[in-house]
Amino acid sequence: MPDGSFAHPQQRQFNPYTDNGGTILAIAGADFTVIAGDTRQSEGYSIQTRYAPKVFRLTDRAVLAVNGFAADGNMFVKKVKQRLEWYRHAHAKDMPLRAIARLIQTMLYAQRFFPYYVYNILGGIEEDGSGAVYSFDPVGSYEREACRAAGAAQSLVQPFLDNQIYFKNQKAAPGTSHPTHLPLSDVLSIVIDSFTSATERHIEVGDGLEIYVVVARGRSPQGIEGIRGVQELSAQPNGDRTFILRRELKKD
Amino acid sequence: MNSFLTRYSSTAPEADIRKAKELYGEDEDFSEVMWGSTGGFGNLASGVPMFKLPSVQDPASFLRMHTDDHADPSCRIKIKHGTTTLAFRFQGGVIVAVDSRATAGSYVASGTVKKVIEINPYLLGTMAGGAADCQYWETYLGIQCRLHELRNRERISVAAASKYLSNLVYSYKGMGLSMGTMICGWDKTGPAIFYVDSDGTRLKGDLFSVGSGSTFAYGVLDQGYRWDLTDEEAQELGRRSIYAAGHRDAFSGNTVNLYHVKQDGWKFIGNYDVSELHYNGPGDVPGAPGGGYGYDIRVAGRTSANPPEGEGQA
Amino acid sequence: MFLTRSEYDRGVNTFSPEGRLFQVEYAIEAIKLGSTTVGVRTPEGVVLGVEKRVQSPLLESSSIEKIMEIDRHLGCAMSGLTADARTMIDHARVTAQNHAFTYDEQIKVESVTQAVCDLALRFGESVHDEDAMMSRPFGVALLIAGIDELGPQLFHTDPSGTFVRYDAKAIGSGSEAAQSELQDKWHKQMTLQEAQILVLRVLKQVMEEKLDHHNVQLAQVTPTGGFEILDEVRLKEIVDIM
Repeated sequence: MPDGSFAHPQQRQFNPYTDNGGTILAIAGADFTVIAGDTRQSEGYSIQTRYAPKVFRLTDRAVLAVNGFAADGNMFVKKVKQRLEWYRHAHAKDMPLRAIARLIQTMLYAQRFFPYYVYNILGGIEEDGSGAVYSFDPVGSYEREACRAAGAAQSLVQPFLDNQIYFKNQKAAPGTSHPTHLPLSDVLSIVIDSFTSATERHIEVGDGLEIYVVVARGRSPQGIEGIRGVQELSAQPNGDRTFILRRELKKD
Repeated sequence: MNSFLTRYSSTAPEADIRKAKELYGEDEDFSEVMWGSTGGFGNLASGVPMFKLPSVQDPASFLRMHTDDHADPSCRIKIKHGTTTLAFRFQGGVIVAVDSRATAGSYVASGTVKKVIEINPYLLGTMAGGAADCQYWETYLGIQCRLHELRNRERISVAAASKYLSNLVYSYKGMGLSMGTMICGWDKTGPAIFYVDSDGTRLKGDLFSVGSGSTFAYGVLDQGYRWDLTDEEAQELGRRSIYAAGHRDAFSGNTVNLYHVKQDGWKFIGNYDVSELHYNGPGDVPGAPGGGYGYDIRVAGRTSANPPEGEGQA
Repeated sequence: MFLTRSEYDRGVNTFSPEGRLFQVEYAIEAIKLGSTTVGVRTPEGVVLGVEKRVQSPLLESSSIEKIMEIDRHLGCAMSGLTADARTMIDHARVTAQNHAFTYDEQIKVESVTQAVCDLALRFGESVHDEDAMMSRPFGVALLIAGIDELGPQLFHTDPSGTFVRYDAKAIGSGSEAAQSELQDKWHKQMTLQEAQILVLRVLKQVMEEKLDHHNVQLAQVTPTGGFEILDEVRLKEIVDIM
């Protein structure tokens, strides 16, 4: 209307969230952890970019994958990194993995009434040298697990991991038993297969794949150095070692 | 008016001050206590952490709009929910049993959730409702109980601990917290259970079950409950009740976690797969009759491929 | 130093022309009036000992509390105005618990000491509209004993907010004699029992009364037992061995 009023009742709401798609996953081995995510970022049916990282290295032994609303996710990672640095100045050490996990809970819960729309998966090496994965809901409930997938293709990938990692609904051959931990090469194959398959069946997954591998101090990197395109990120080779492995995914 | 509502409402004069502080960047993330000697905590920090709020008229309805998946299954943020929990008091202490399924909408988000929160060696809390609310506040309760212990040179009573939690969540009433918990423990008065929820209810009692599967659990629990159950019988009753809920309630299941609280603190008894309980039972544990809880009873050892005598011949 | 006393010794926020804060220095003097407190670090743990001045036969000696628990892995002994120490120890406890809550780990000994020292400096006028602060420096020194991933450690804090790590340290009225005795007798490979005996011997030397299990208190922090105040039975055993 010319006077600025409305003919019909208008409803407005504060809608600060959007879903930017993509999928992340992490699997813990006996003395290593693999954390991976695709690099597509989309809004609705449009692809905004084919390279937006969702996996971030936090310390020598911790890697965080963030999925959901990209703006919230990036801000959250920034704030976690800030807290890690403050902690390092205050306590003269890097924050242990389980401490990071609890910190992330308190940081997410501080936004309980205005949540970050993010699903976090934290992977790395514990103080005892074992591989570990922590998964979070948007307001901070968390749990240590052996594997976890989150994001758009969670419901495609998680059942596959349940079967391949936890051996759910599988029966061991007579006289044998399922291994508690898989070797790195098997885990990497499972991760790559998960993402190629998810790319086939989910429109929000694809473009590129970033796989971080954290190997505990003094443990064999199980031949990862020989894999095509592997890059080592760790500063000193006698501590925990982090590698990154990049793969292309289909772009249609 | 509730002091916390005043603190967080966006219409009260306090809200203007809060907004002004935000404008000048004086918010929690940049205050000096964050980078002090304790790396973000400690410098005369007050007990209750500060919570960020959206700058809208009604933060509670904002939160409901984006996170309440019962009212709106298509809402974006799916908060994990917990489901069947029970606790009862008997001659030998307290039995606490829970399932381990967490659902986000109709997706089984996890089948390995720890719904018993070990507050300290003498206190357990259970998780139903928002997983984060229970985990966070019961952990917080744990440190407050420890401070009580240090300051008073005496362990906190179950009554006091549950009252602390109840007062705490009551101060957030109407803000959207969701928790239904049982605080269980053993103090000077013996075994004790208090039911505390986010509405502010706090009840002392002998037997509670909380969550969507509670009706099924109560069915079994009430049938078998007596004060003078032996330890083994009581553990079996807890296990059997959660199995029943896992079997009949779609939002409950996966595994049973069983705890027993005695005078010298709680003890974890075991983790049992619900399907395994159905077909084969808990295995060789004291109190269990042997055999599956459900399958054999229903089919009497027979299946359609192997019908009882006289049937399927006519 | 008392020759230069002037109006500069009254304000806690005014330096003297020679660059001194008299009130802080006087606070440090106050500790020398306190009862003797000794701490000894060994590879097996840390031992703390205090003298309890039982001024009257009617006084209930068990109610004198000069060693307190901060957390399972941290203990603290005090000398000086012990009432001031309550505030500091409560702050240390809250800090330790907040740390455990936020990071799911025990706080380091040095971090909790730093936190206590932050509080020690919060005297004077408040800058913003902060909560009420102390109007004067604390009149107490602490020996903070604890164990973390760096092993057993002993810290000394004073009213100026300074903290230093020691292998063995004595504070309070008999501290000078006690410290030189510690310097003579302490060695790197002490056992916990040797440390307990050393603490008692040092206290015995500087105490006016005859040492027995009523007028001293002994505590220790060990990797297995955590912080514990030795009860009279255990204390008596050590006194007898000595």
